[in-house]
Amino acid sequence: MRWLTNPVVQFLATGFVTLVVVVVVTGALSRQAADEEAVADARSLTRVLGRSVAQPDIPEGLVTGDAAAIDRLDRTVLDRLLVGDVRRIKVWAADGTVLYSDRTELIGAVYPLGADELEVIEDGGTDAELSDLSRPENRYERELGGDLLEVYTRIRSPEGEPLLFEAYFTADELGQQRAAVLDRFLPISIGALAALVALATPLLLLLNRRLSRAARERERLLEAAVRASDAERLRIARDLHDGVVQDLAGSSMTLSTLAARSEGAVSEELEEVGRSLRVSMRSLRSLLVEIYPPDLHTAGLAAAVHDLLAPIVAAGIEVDSDISGDERASDAAVALVWRIAQEAVRNVARHAGATRMSLTIRGEDDRLVLEVVDDGVGFDPGTAPDDAHFGLRAAESLVREYGGSMEVESAQGSGTLVRVEVPLA
Amino acid sequence: MTSIRNTIATLALVTVGLVATGTAPASAHGDDDDRVIVTGACSGSADWKIKVKTDDGRLEVEGEIDSNVAGQRWRWTLRHNGSVSDRGVATTTARSGSFEVERRIVDLAGTDRVVFRAVRDGQTCRGVVNY
Repeated sequence: MRWLTNPVVQFLATGFVTLVVVVVVTGALSRQAADEEAVADARSLTRVLGRSVAQPDIPEGLVTGDAAAIDRLDRTVLDRLLVGDVRRIKVWAADGTVLYSDRTELIGAVYPLGADELEVIEDGGTDAELSDLSRPENRYERELGGDLLEVYTRIRSPEGEPLLFEAYFTADELGQQRAAVLDRFLPISIGALAALVALATPLLLLLNRRLSRAARERERLLEAAVRASDAERLRIARDLHDGVVQDLAGSSMTLSTLAARSEGAVSEELEEVGRSLRVSMRSLRSLLVEIYPPDLHTAGLAAAVHDLLAPIVAAGIEVDSDISGDERASDAAVALVWRIAQEAVRNVARHAGATRMSLTIRGEDDRLVLEVVDDGVGFDPGTAPDDAHFGLRAAESLVREYGGSMEVESAQGSGTLVRVEVPLA
Repeated sequence: MTSIRNTIATLALVTVGLVATGTAPASAHGDDDDRVIVTGACSGSADWKIKVKTDDGRLEVEGEIDSNVAGQRWRWTLRHNGSVSDRGVATTTARSGSFEVERRIVDLAGTDRVVFRAVRDGQTCRGVVNY
């Protein structure tokens, strides 16, 4: 799953999701626009049919149900009204009487008009709504299938009586309008986004390659700096060990010899100076351990950790250590674990104020695990100042680069746990 | 409703032929179930015939005048429930000496009364179908 962290893959995935969202949203908006356009078209057509086709040819007597007037309207006008998607025509009187319909069974029947229809018949205008096919006056429209849009407008009879002219449209027109609008806008939306992705992907690939190259360069420089620092510290440590420490050891032995040969107060003072020299020599050796780790491969990790813990023990902290399983680990893994342990122990000595500390190193499957636990004051990882735990953050970076993991658990007053896992190989 | 009325029509509810001059009416049914054919004699020597049948919620009405003389001009009127649904002038054709008028009227609720009337030089033909 490493490829998931690749920024190019993330960009393409985001682009795909955006594309899907755009298609869905464009589709919804197009449908809405098409519906509105189709309804507007249906209104316009109904107005034209009602006022320009039906009204001029409505014969006298239709409002009173005269059979001959109904015949004339049926013969002369019907073919000009049932055009396009118009599937049904009804002409209503204000009292709800169907004066005319191309379904002749309805003529003469009375169905109370709704509030919207009455409003149009009284105030004029045009209105549209989906047909309620469960109503008895619409029973013949059920056989037409699908949703119907009924649009009604006011017309007048030759006698001057206001009538309601109603036209029923099938949903075919809506579907065609939707398809037409989608055909217009979808290619534009998808095309623009696809072009953007196609243009940006090579640029992103190039940028990603440059960033990776820069990161590798930075890593190489960092490693070179670390190696140079190690070499310098090794030189200093070796000079101190071979020079000052040996001199101090020789002086200490000389003083002990002189003290043995002397008597009284002089002997005691020489012994005191000798003890002081030996304390300084131990301090110097601990310092050397900190400056540069001992030869872990030759002396072993356990011996090195023992030297590392010596100052802590001397400071009165109760220490419990257990080292095992490092034999199978590579030198690099051991060196890394040593470095983290060194940083963790240093933090315990400087910041924790602990009374007990435990350091465990063990092999678990194909990993070397380090755990350093103390009962000190702890800290809040979220609010700790950056510089206070710079060493741990730097250590975490090293562990991550090595393919391992590191976690620090701590809270105010609850001590601290540092756990590190690195591959054995 | 239409089918009920067709049955009633078939039961000769409507086959009333009436000649203005008192000539006895004549009626006949065609092959179609809902077709009604009524015939009769005019006040002169001509004969009339009316055919009515249903067609998609309408009544198809055919009125025919046969005088056996070609070139006669007749004024005709078609009434539906008492109102003039259509009217016109027609001329008998050369071969048969007759003319025919065909109109569609709306099949209304209840019984539709169809009257076909033709007039020429005092001769009157009048046929009625209650369908």
